[in-house]
Amino acid sequence: MTIDWSWIGDHTDDLTTLTISHLQAALTAVFLGLLISLPLAVVAHRIRPLRGFLLGASNVLFTIPSIAIFVLLLPVSGLTRTTTVTGLTVYTLVVLLRNTVEGLDSVPVKVKEAAKAMGTRPLRTLLTVEIPLALPVIMAGVRIATVMSISLVSVATYIGDGGLGQLFTDGFQRNFPTPVIAGVVLTLLLAVVADAALVALQYVLTPWKRRRA
Amino acid sequence: MFELLKNLGHWLVSGSQWSGSDGIAHRLAEHLQYSLLATVIAAAIGLPLGLLIGHTGKGAFVAINLASFGRALPTVGLVVLVFLAGGLSMLPVYVALVALAVPAIVTNTYAGMTAVDPDVKDAARGQGMRGHQVLFQVELPLALPLIMTGLRLALIQVVATATIAAYVSFGGLGRYVFDGLAQRDLVQVLGGAVLVALVAVVLDVALAGLQRFLFRHRTA
Amino acid sequence: MNRRTVLGGLFAVASVPALSACASGITSLDGSGASSGGGGSSKGGVTIGTANFTENQILGYLYAAVLTAAGVKTKVRPNLGTREIVIPALRSGDIDLLPEYQGALLNYLDPKATPTEQGAMQNALTLALPAGLQVLPYGMAEDSDAFVVTRETAQRYGLASLADLRKQNGKLVIGAAPEVKKRQVGAVGLKEVYGVDFKEFKSLDSDGPLVKGALKKGDVDVANLFTTDTDIKANDWVVLSDPEHLIPSQHIVPLIADRKADDTVRKALARLGNVLTTAQLTELNRQVDKDKKDPEDVANTYAQQHGLVK
Repeated sequence: MTIDWSWIGDHTDDLTTLTISHLQAALTAVFLGLLISLPLAVVAHRIRPLRGFLLGASNVLFTIPSIAIFVLLLPVSGLTRTTTVTGLTVYTLVVLLRNTVEGLDSVPVKVKEAAKAMGTRPLRTLLTVEIPLALPVIMAGVRIATVMSISLVSVATYIGDGGLGQLFTDGFQRNFPTPVIAGVVLTLLLAVVADAALVALQYVLTPWKRRRA
Repeated sequence: MFELLKNLGHWLVSGSQWSGSDGIAHRLAEHLQYSLLATVIAAAIGLPLGLLIGHTGKGAFVAINLASFGRALPTVGLVVLVFLAGGLSMLPVYVALVALAVPAIVTNTYAGMTAVDPDVKDAARGQGMRGHQVLFQVELPLALPLIMTGLRLALIQVVATATIAAYVSFGGLGRYVFDGLAQRDLVQVLGGAVLVALVAVVLDVALAGLQRFLFRHRTA
Repeated sequence: MNRRTVLGGLFAVASVPALSACASGITSLDGSGASSGGGGSSKGGVTIGTANFTENQILGYLYAAVLTAAGVKTKVRPNLGTREIVIPALRSGDIDLLPEYQGALLNYLDPKATPTEQGAMQNALTLALPAGLQVLPYGMAEDSDAFVVTRETAQRYGLASLADLRKQNGKLVIGAAPEVKKRQVGAVGLKEVYGVDFKEFKSLDSDGPLVKGALKKGDVDVANLFTTDTDIKANDWVVLSDPEHLIPSQHIVPLIADRKADDTVRKALARLGNVLTTAQLTELNRQVDKDKKDPEDVANTYAQQHGLVK
């Protein structure tokens, strides 16, 4: 198996476009996943009986093959970006929900009681005390979900999207390894870069953590 | 939606759907075979690696980054790549499934090992235990719960991903998903997906039961 | 009950969940029937979809080349999937234009359709198409489905035509894309027209590496390929003849949504259809599959060389 370097040289534009489209799908999914799992996590954290149900449900979603989720969305959103992003979002939920609940659980009761004693209202406590303190655990979930999404985007190539995944089906159909290798390498690179960026973001978001290090 | 569920029920219970080479029974057996074999191979690679890293404390950086790396590997790309390199066989599928499962096993094994109280290890050494005795008689038993968690996680992912075998012409429950996609037969796709999820959940519950059985004498 | 409603019913049954979701999109279109002439406009640009095999992508980019030259804004969405996936997308508006094949399309819309001659088929297509879609005049180039065996298999079992397969009922394995199992030009028609029963249907791909690899290795005895594939000749494979005309005329025909069909589009695509020959299309396929050229580049070069673009 040899790499046709001239193909790569001739296709830098295409590779760039696909990489951007790939990243965009993955990041949108993680963002939407966060929007959905934050309120759900608060519910799961506060209302014990719902906790098992919510976490269990997200676990079951995780066992459904990703390609099946994309296909089953076709009647709803067709061959569009929406289908790709919705499918990916479903997958981020299991990680994001679990980590956010664990993050909220990890906030010491005493801290919450202190906030209550100072007359801070519950919503304010949540936003200014609990979520910031839970941030390291939440961010760990965001990192896992992001890397996972980046890897999963390519599955959407079966429904005509899939960013870099299009290189896989193309190479497969034409018995042409170069695009496939380029796609795998770029996917891994994207994951590494995105992960590093999130580490940096976490560093910025949690200044109080730095003193300890 | 209701129509789809009704058809799904029909699809799942109709007798003809269960027999023959494209029957559910056969596809289920294939799927289990792919998933279990891949997980066993992954365990054979991942367990010793995780134990070694945890025991010696060397290569922790590798263990942690391996997890990230494994999650980032695009399964479709890997399958196609191995297919183009080696031709049509189950090899591409097993390579991709093992690559998916190994990181979860290594990192959880390693995490289990590091969670063992250093004082306990010191005490064991103080009693004159050799390195391998500490590993197998002290660390391994204490790390087992987390090791089992890693195996369960790996197995769930492998079961869901073994669907990909159908992309390169093989069987398993993925056959229903890929054929259903090509024929736009959503009932078939849904049927395949439900069966895959069911297999994953049942295997997970079984492993959890096994775990409880193995550790029934231990108090939390 | 007239013919249209019967066909409409068939179509709806064939893709129940898909259509219920996009039905609102269809009824809101102003086109009243498949043959409706005006009303469409390509001003807002045309999105061309293509199915999951090489040739369809080349055709998609050829459409894009000639339409762009005619001043229409185009976008190509390659490799979307099978006809079963792409046509619902055309109806729901995800795409506007699709390179199609007369016979295969007619069989998809109406598996009981009998015409096999090009002109009659064009009329039948117009009747069978759901509201909102229409076919434009078909082109010269043709790409048929072919059922192919290796020279060795042909000799061992004495196979020359599809009818000969019947003598080996229950013994042979056929390999094809998954959708071919349910298609008239496929397992269904082979059984109905020739009485052929296979030992097994292996789900592979559309004239891709899986089905060709399986035929080479002997994993399948009969393979469903396309006549414009140069590999058939290169491997000395035998195309089984079709005395009962199961496989209809497969001239390439643009399938377009009424909303985008205007004279600019019609003229540009008709010109392409009158220039592109089967031999040329076969050569373009070879350049993409074997020389690893881009379908887009191959299409643009062709359009330039044949004066289709300035």
